[in-house]
Amino acid sequence: MTQSAVTIDTQRPGIPFTRLSFVELRKSFDTRAGRWFTISILILAFAAMLIQTFLVPAGAAQDLNDMALVQNSLLGIFVPIIPILLVTQEWGQRTALVTFSLEPRRGRVVLAKLVASALVVLGVLIVSVVIAVLGTALAGGLRGIEVDWNLSAQMLRNIFIGNAIATLLGFGIALLLMNSPAAIVTYFVYMFVVPTVLNVAGAFLDWFKDIVPWIDFASAQEPLLDSGGMSGEEWAQLVTSSLLWVGVPLAFGIWRWLRTEVK
Amino acid sequence: MITVENLTKTYGQYRAVDDVSFVCRPGQVTGFLGPNGAGKSTTMRIIAGLTPADSGSTTIGGVRYHDIPNPGTQVGVLLDASAQHGGRTGREVLTVGARTMGLPASRVDEMLELVSLSASESKRRLRDYSLGMRQRLGIAHALLGDPKILILDEPANGLDPAGIHWMRTLLRTYADRGGTVLLSSHLLHEVEIIADELIVIGRGRIVAEGTKEELLHAAGTYVKAVPEHTEQLRSALDAAGIAVVVREDGLQTEASADEVGRAAAAAQVALAELRRADGAGLEDMFLSLTSDTQREQPTTGVQS
Repeated sequence: MTQSAVTIDTQRPGIPFTRLSFVELRKSFDTRAGRWFTISILILAFAAMLIQTFLVPAGAAQDLNDMALVQNSLLGIFVPIIPILLVTQEWGQRTALVTFSLEPRRGRVVLAKLVASALVVLGVLIVSVVIAVLGTALAGGLRGIEVDWNLSAQMLRNIFIGNAIATLLGFGIALLLMNSPAAIVTYFVYMFVVPTVLNVAGAFLDWFKDIVPWIDFASAQEPLLDSGGMSGEEWAQLVTSSLLWVGVPLAFGIWRWLRTEVK
Repeated sequence: MITVENLTKTYGQYRAVDDVSFVCRPGQVTGFLGPNGAGKSTTMRIIAGLTPADSGSTTIGGVRYHDIPNPGTQVGVLLDASAQHGGRTGREVLTVGARTMGLPASRVDEMLELVSLSASESKRRLRDYSLGMRQRLGIAHALLGDPKILILDEPANGLDPAGIHWMRTLLRTYADRGGTVLLSSHLLHEVEIIADELIVIGRGRIVAEGTKEELLHAAGTYVKAVPEHTEQLRSALDAAGIAVVVREDGLQTEASADEVGRAAAAAQVALAELRRADGAGLEDMFLSLTSDTQREQPTTGVQS
């Protein structure tokens, strides 16, 4: 056999990014954990819609906007877990060994995972809006409530922004911790413990109290869904707190993803 | 062709790989043999670009792994058959690989057939696979993209004797078609069956390399005299300056069979056996080559 028979072909086309992204999308659904997590949160959202449609006093929350808001506030809690599961499976199940053998340029893999996560989250959001429409129709049709079909464009945009931040948050924590239970626990600490600690600290320290709104990530998101809209200062606070709590872990997480030795 | 040059990797104070150089040529199955923790896996991970080396270089066909476009279609890598998602089915694992490499779905069925995983087995989840089945699936995954080069870490681990012979035939055919194979093992008898070339590693350093025949020959000559001449044989060889050790009911020496035969004839010693030290000799060689580098040493004890 001649040597030329085994020369590496450096002119061959690499793996196109879209293909890589679709593979990652497939990986979000081809295990029971990934598939059922997404299905479960949608079932939960559907159940919430039924409660809102049939059990809440008539006219209190059956407008389409109300429906969409409830859907979002429920799903919003779980959205960051979608990227967490997709990223940490590579380390928990050690499939990174195979993934990086097939695509050694890890930066492309991490981007493909982000695209796949975003697509899943977008899909969940679209389904949740469909559920909200269904709930509104049921309330109007079966209970005979006079419902408002207006869907605020501003609210939709803010829901989109909120979920984009949530996706990046889960993504960053997952990259940084490389372990699903740790990442999920950290995420809940982020959402429920950190705001409390910050506010307690603010109550004792006067100088800190003024800083809290700028670094309290959970509270800075709340005005996103206010009907009154966000003030300039509130936008600025959303940006600063997100940079701190989402940007920093994401930056270190990507650095770790690119550098970690795969065993 | 896989080329490894002066490769060194340390973890803190521990030198996992110490100035390792070797070449794997097309048409040959190169066995990478060494006790557990000798540095085989680390070396292979460095070749596949998963672990950065401290110094030295590794190339495949003259190219760094990172620079190989769609590497799965050019280099088949199996580093750990158990490093797959336990919740995926065997078929799904291959499908994900095939999709990544841009291969038709029919390739998955071909590979399943090649490694003798049945349709029902391919639908089971990996966590329900035996180690032997995982190895077969791992081989199928490595061969998916029809690569010309294979890098397999402990592929025979968990295979039964029939499985090891199956792998021998598979890799032999592959190498005969011009493929290059590097496979590791910590078991001599596996490598003895499968490989042509041997690279023996202990504590991060290469301690021997060559063809199986060369290394076998290095194990020396076994000689046995008829019972009444046992003592005379010993003194005749001593007189000829041939160093010997007692093995079984005969003697073993590093001298060639010719030298031993002449010395025995000169002393008029009747021989019952004179031959090349056999497979057990290779085993002795493996043990002796690695005895000062392996862990099971009674005198080592706990070190600080």
